[in-house]
This record gives sequence, C-alpha cells and structure tokens, in this order.
Amino acid sequence: MIKFSNVSLIYPNSTTTVLEDLNLEIAEGEMVLVIGPTGSGKSSLLRLINGLVPHHTGGILAGDVSVDGLSTQLVKPGGLSHLIGIVGQNPLNGFVTDTVEEELAFGMENLNLPNDFMRKRVEEILDLLSLAPLRNRTIATLSGGEQQRVAIGAALVMHPKVLVLDEPTSALDPIAAEEVLSILQRLVHDLSLTVVIAEHKLERVIQFADRIVYINGQGETKIGSTEQIMIDSPIAPPIVELARALGLQEIGTTVREMRRMTQDLRDKKYQSVEPKNSSSKSLRIKIDSLSVSYPGHVAIKNFTTNISSNEIVALMGRNGAGKSSLLKAIAGISQHNKGTVDVSGVDPQSLKGKSRRESIGYISQEPSDLLYGQSVSSECEQADSDNEVKPGTTAALLEQLVPGVSGHTHPRDLSEGQRLGLALSVVLSSNPQVLILDEPTRGLDYQAKRELLSILVSFAKRYDKCVVLATHDVELVAELATRVIFIADGEKVADGTTLDVLLSSPAFAPQVAKVMSPHPWLRVRDVTAAIEIS
Amino acid sequence: MKKPSLHPLTWWIWSGLLAIAVVRFQSTALTLLCVGAVAGLVFWLREDAPWGRSFSWTLKLAIWILLIRTVIGMLIGVPIPGNTVLTLPIVQLPSWMPGIRIGGAVTSERLTSAISEGILICAIILIFGAAASLTSPHRLLRTLPVYVYEFGVSIVIATSALPQLVTAASRIRQAQLLRGQSLRGFKSWKRIAIPLLEESLARSLDLAAAMDSRGYGISSKRSRYRPIKWSFLDSFVIISAIAVVGVS
Repeated sequence: MIKFSNVSLIYPNSTTTVLEDLNLEIAEGEMVLVIGPTGSGKSSLLRLINGLVPHHTGGILAGDVSVDGLSTQLVKPGGLSHLIGIVGQNPLNGFVTDTVEEELAFGMENLNLPNDFMRKRVEEILDLLSLAPLRNRTIATLSGGEQQRVAIGAALVMHPKVLVLDEPTSALDPIAAEEVLSILQRLVHDLSLTVVIAEHKLERVIQFADRIVYINGQGETKIGSTEQIMIDSPIAPPIVELARALGLQEIGTTVREMRRMTQDLRDKKYQSVEPKNSSSKSLRIKIDSLSVSYPGHVAIKNFTTNISSNEIVALMGRNGAGKSSLLKAIAGISQHNKGTVDVSGVDPQSLKGKSRRESIGYISQEPSDLLYGQSVSSECEQADSDNEVKPGTTAALLEQLVPGVSGHTHPRDLSEGQRLGLALSVVLSSNPQVLILDEPTRGLDYQAKRELLSILVSFAKRYDKCVVLATHDVELVAELATRVIFIADGEKVADGTTLDVLLSSPAFAPQVAKVMSPHPWLRVRDVTAAIEIS
Repeated sequence: MKKPSLHPLTWWIWSGLLAIAVVRFQSTALTLLCVGAVAGLVFWLREDAPWGRSFSWTLKLAIWILLIRTVIGMLIGVPIPGNTVLTLPIVQLPSWMPGIRIGGAVTSERLTSAISEGILICAIILIFGAAASLTSPHRLLRTLPVYVYEFGVSIVIATSALPQLVTAASRIRQAQLLRGQSLRGFKSWKRIAIPLLEESLARSLDLAAAMDSRGYGISSKRSRYRPIKWSFLDSFVIISAIAVVGVS
C-alpha cells in the first residue's frame, strides 16, 4: 500500500539528514508504529506519506514514496486526499470550520461530491465514531478526546485507504486515549485500513502495532516486528522494561501475555516492603473550601486540601475535570469566588515580582510562553539578573537538566524536552518554595521524561520543597508522585498515597501494576526490590 | 432564547452601510447612539468563541485612538476662533508653512471638533470590529468562490489567526506575570509579542497543511454540504441598515 524506496530527506539550511536510505513497504491492513527520540524525524516520515514533505515544507527528497501506486512526487497532497487521511499533532490547529458536521463534510466539499452522497457519509461517520450527539456542537467547545475523534472522523469520511496519525493520544487522558485507540483497532480489523502512528507514550499503543519503525535521530531506521525491535530498543514501555528486568526469554507487549509469562513469579509469597517514612514536613499550601467558576460552568467545587514540603502531588482526572483551574488558583492567577488559598503563609494573588518568583514557580502547558529571548544564553542571563543570582547560575542548572544545549540556539529550535528544560531552569533559578507544572510530559520521550523525573525528585527531596503537577501520564505518576489527588468534575474524588489511588482504579493503573496484580507494585523497581528481599 | 444564525456576509454589509450612515450623520450624538446600539447588539449576539471575545479588544483600541486623536487635534491644526479654554506655548514654524501651527490657544470649538472627529474614526473602527466579532471567519471562508483559492487560504489564515492571537496573548501574559515580570513599558511588549508571533506562525502553517492535505482547491467547483442560505432575517438586517443610511 505504502512504499518508500531509497528515501533520503534533508531540510534546507540543515547539515544533517533527517532520513537516510529508508526502504519500507507497508501492506494493506497493517498497523505500523513509528518511534524515536523527540526531533528524530517521526513527523517528517509521516508527512512524507501524503507529500506534505517536501511539497509544503521544502527540503530535498531523494528516492520515491508511493501510495497505492501514486508517487507523491507527481501528485500534490490535495490530490491524495481521497486516499490518505492525515491527523496532525494538534488537531485544533487543523480544523477549518466551526461545527462538527461541517468539519466532517469539508474534505468532500473540496472534491465537489454531490450533496446527498455527503449526507450519507457524514451520518455513517457520526455513528462509527459515536459523534452523533455532538453533531451541531462548536468544535472549540469540545473536550480533547472529542476533538481527536472529530479529526479522525474528518479523515475517515473520505474513505481513505491509509490513515496517518501524529501523536493521537498525547493530549488525552487514559480513558479518552483508550477510546480513540480501540476505534483505530476496529477500523484496521473491519475495513483493513492501513494505519501509521507516531507516538511517545508506547505503553498506550504498543499492543496494537504489527510492526515498528525505529528512527534513531541520525537518519538511520530500523524496521521489524514489535518483539524484534523491543528486544534491544532504548525506547521501551514499562511492560518491556519489566520483561528485561525479570530476565524473561521473550518479550510480551500486552498485559495478557506478560501475565502468562509471570504466572510462577506472582504465585510466590513476598514480604511487603515498608515505605520509608519521609522526614519532617512543614505545611506549604493550604486550600480551604475553594470554588472557582467561569461564565457558564463551575471548574472547582468546594475544594479543601493541605500540601506539605517534601511532597510531590499529582493531580489526575479526565480532560476538563478542573486540574488546570486548580493549579491556576494555587499560583494565584485566577480569581476565585469562594474559599482561601494560602501559599507559604500568603495569598498568592498578592504576590508580585521577585517575591512571586521566590515563592511560586509555574510552568504552563506551553513552556515556550515563558521564553522570549533570542538565544538560550540571553534567556539564562535574563533569569540571572532578574533573580539577582551569580551570573551563570541558570546556565549551570540548564546544563544539569539537559546537558549539551548550545547557548547560541534559538529557544524555538530546541526540542520539546530541551525547551521544557530551559523553562524549568529559568523558573528554578529563583529557587521557589513551590513548583507547579501543568501537563509537563506532552511531547516528551522516555529519555526526557527520566531527566524531568530526577530533577523534580531532587528538587523536592534535597531542597525540602513541594511540587504539584497535573498530568495524564500514569507511568510518570507511578514513578514520581508521593501522593495523588483525583479530580472529577471539579470535586475531589480520591486523595491518598500514589499506591492506594492508582491501584484502586483499573483505568489509571500503570502497566506494571496490571501485570503484577494483586501484588501492590507500581514500578519495575518495586518488583525487583521485592524479589531481592525474598 | 436561541441566537439567530445569519449569513456570514450580512454583518459585514450591515457594517459597511452603517459606516456610510455615520459619516453622513455629521452629528456626534447620533454617532454615539449608533455605536451604543452596535455595542449592545454585539454583547447580546456574540458567541462564546475566540472571535466573539475580540470586540472588547477593539473597544480598548478605539479608546486609545480617541485619546491620541484628541490630543493631536488640540496641538496641531488651523486656529479656530472662539472661547479660549487654555493656552499652550506655540512652536515657531518656518514661514513656508503658513496657516499651520503647533500649540497656541485651545478654544472650546477646537476641542469639540477634535473630539467629534475622533469619535467618528472610533465609531467606524467599532462598527467593523462588531462585524468581525459577530461573524465566524470560518463560515465567511465558506462563502468564497473556489477560483479565488490562494486568496481564500490567506484570508482564512489571517482571520482565524487574529482572534486566536487574542486568546494566546492573554495566556502568554499570564505566564509572564507568573515569571514575576512587570508588564509595563516597551520591553514587556517584546516579551509578549515574540512568543505570540512564533505561535501564530506555527498555527498558520498547521492550518495551511491541514487544508492542503484535505484537498482544498483541488476541484474548480465545490459542493456545499449545508448551503448557507440567505434568510428573511438577513434581508431584515440589511434593510434596517439601508433605512438608517436613508435617514442620515
């Protein structure tokens, strides 16, 4: 169906090739997963399929890409729209119309298809993706999962033979991600649709993939079945890490396979590992019967909690549950109608300038919002002079977080992970008492996530500070958080240690816990530690 | 009450007609009345969408323009005789610039003429700002014929980028406030403008790529899923505006 023959790609004004001599044939009805570190060229590979690269981006393409016998060198992306559906990283940026129905019809209108034909197709897709109740809604008001479904629907309505998705679940909560992926799985099986996906959160998609294309970042690619690639891939989901740590013969990619392989192991008796009691705590954040509402809806209802130093608190919950609103209230940027918020003894809304920087560090969903410098070094110097610290402090922090970033680079040209690192070091250079992060792992690969993890842990433990983060990433929470607060529809549903909260909900349980249930282990190192003791 | 859905061109035609009427009124009171009515209409009818929220920004812009225009009108211009309110120092100009002066006596006549001219400019800005906030840019695009393809793409990018800029600007402002930056002066303007520009560029490229891969402009003819129809209400809005022009 899709054929890459001797494909090499280089972008203008760049000295490194994105892809080098790639040969790949994807058969009809295959589901192929593209993995690799951030900035390794996954998106470029996906966009080569319908010719957006190089027709839209420029760049030199050697070799040939053809889909269903049509070469993308001869046909422009528009001419392939009936054959290939492509869903970008941020679907909201790609919506052309306002309402769900109109968005679904847009592609067919472009091809001048007759009206009654369009009506039929739109109805079909509305049913297939369970979008019928949303048909007249304004797209901007839909939740992330619903928007993703609309974007997939808008591609599928053309009855394409190939569906290309760039990080389809990165912004979604685990339940919405599951919905989207199971729809894809069904399409592959029922309609023999060919699907190509790029995704960082492998734990979500790996069980659906037939084959994996691994791009190493220097243009080299490795293609093979899931098991072949996962045996020695540096990028691997926790389930594979578990198989490696246990020294299993084979590598399982689904919970079911792994449970079968670890049957004997689970049947043994284990001593329970007592969690170490953390040292002295002092109260940092005090929230008392807080309510936040916006015109039209209530975001937070009567919320009360206390957060102490040394704690890393993860806020979890579905898209639109009120996590961001709560973080903003703690940071003191949203007006709340009722209740009080108190950070280190003061109302965060009254904080300004230096005292604000020294008490609260906040990183929004778009870390680049904080950055305005023309280069990494000017950004660091600005932070040094703002915080009246020794010149070079921020740069040193950055070097510790993400080693090897050139000071001359423009912040825009950094990878997602590096940009987050820069924003973090700018914020941490003022040594705040409380650090708040909103969805820090969007677009981060496993390597960048590990780095983020070690930074946050050392920040909280070594300097006796507290971290509050909102995230959908269950695996990150399992590795990082000491406490989880679960929010639904603006109300606190659960509040407890990470172990208790994550184990009590199957949808939010990490992979290791699913495999090892009923043993209370969340992480690979929990399992190995328990085995060592016994 | 359900808000009426109108043809996307209706409000733009309506704005054009009202602007003509306002120019022909020659009356500050009637102009103000007109602006008041327009603003009321916007706050009643606008949707909860990025473009709907753009009107308050237009309002701020108009007030700035009014202030600047009034100050300049007081300083520069041909002298108008009348009751002197205050006297400013006169800047001596070379002899080849007769009839123009900077500073000098500010008469109440001069003050009213400066203000009423300022109000006229602001009224026109606000009237078109109202059309922009009442009409979805996406729906407007759908009324364009396909043979203006390239033009259509640039229009949709421009119109959808602008209101989204408003939302992005407030988000970035918030982030900068949290970095503890004061948001005054030229430097702070740069702090917001640079991330904003980068984001809107990236956004526009995404949209253009999405439109391209969904076959926009491939066929010289384009079918309509639910054709946008001209309704009685549209005619009513236009006729009311024509009536206002007739009265003026």
